[in-house]
Amino acid sequence: MSRLARAMTRLDEMASDPPPRPDPEGALLVAYANGDQEAARELTVALAPRVLGQATRMLSDRAEAEDVTQEVMLRLWRVAPDWRQGEARVATWLYRVTANLCTDRLRRRRSVGLDEVAEPPDPTPSVADRIQGDARMRALSDALASLPERQAQAVALRHLEGLTNPEIASVMEIGIEAVESLTARGKRALAAALKGRKEELGYDDD
Amino acid sequence: MTMTDRDEMDLDDLLAEAREQRLEPGPDLLARILADSERASAERKLSGPVPVTGGAWRDWLRLLGGWPTVGGLVASTAAGLWIGVAQPATLSDLADSVWGEQVSVTFGVDADPLSLLEG
Repeated sequence: MSRLARAMTRLDEMASDPPPRPDPEGALLVAYANGDQEAARELTVALAPRVLGQATRMLSDRAEAEDVTQEVMLRLWRVAPDWRQGEARVATWLYRVTANLCTDRLRRRRSVGLDEVAEPPDPTPSVADRIQGDARMRALSDALASLPERQAQAVALRHLEGLTNPEIASVMEIGIEAVESLTARGKRALAAALKGRKEELGYDDD
Repeated sequence: MTMTDRDEMDLDDLLAEAREQRLEPGPDLLARILADSERASAERKLSGPVPVTGGAWRDWLRLLGGWPTVGGLVASTAAGLWIGVAQPATLSDLADSVWGEQVSVTFGVDADPLSLLEG
């Protein structure tokens, strides 16, 4: 294919690129920055469950996940006056800040020592399945804590949040190849970290 | 480090289970978040309105070359003012040594314009 033909093909592709997706949350954030408190209410109702979900899946600890959610939302309120619509999407920003705050928490957990925190706090004795489920989720979260932070973030965004590689690339501000490498290495490391905890996970070690 | 098929299946099951975890924020958490939003608004009002575009002053400043240029301008203005007001002796000595002597040159129409034509 000649250079001209390649250039024409690229132009066609560019013409068919989807226009930037609207970001109604960005518009609400700007409205909040301009003093619209009702916009803050709408944003809280829409975004807090998402942030809390992501934090819960990474930390497996309700109190910690709630603290992270409040902190992420506080940072959102503070960044509102400087928000440039069209430059970033609120959803992407939230994934990034939540992942960063969660890996901060996981790092602290690792420095405290896995054994001290491995048991779920105050399990309800009557609901055996729930205890098993909590323990499994906690073991997964502790295994995430043992990973290098970027690997833990990439694995969590891919396998807990279900984001695509290009989405993870924009959340983590890296290239797609780097995402592929981080998720592959992270998943292997996660499997290795969980290998010794089969009993906790309720798996037969056969 | 190898991952057997069994390990991978176990991990995939666990990740799928984790993906299903959903938590709805309780009223306490929502109230705390909204209180933060109000506090952040109040702090912003106290610290004054944030200019949206930066305004004409900032555009003019950028045209000049930013704050470093303004620093240079201020320094040279101050130096000029000082020279004008204080007239340091060294400066007039310097001027004398450069010019040698006071010279006055007059441009203009001679008192008698026809004098040049006369022999």
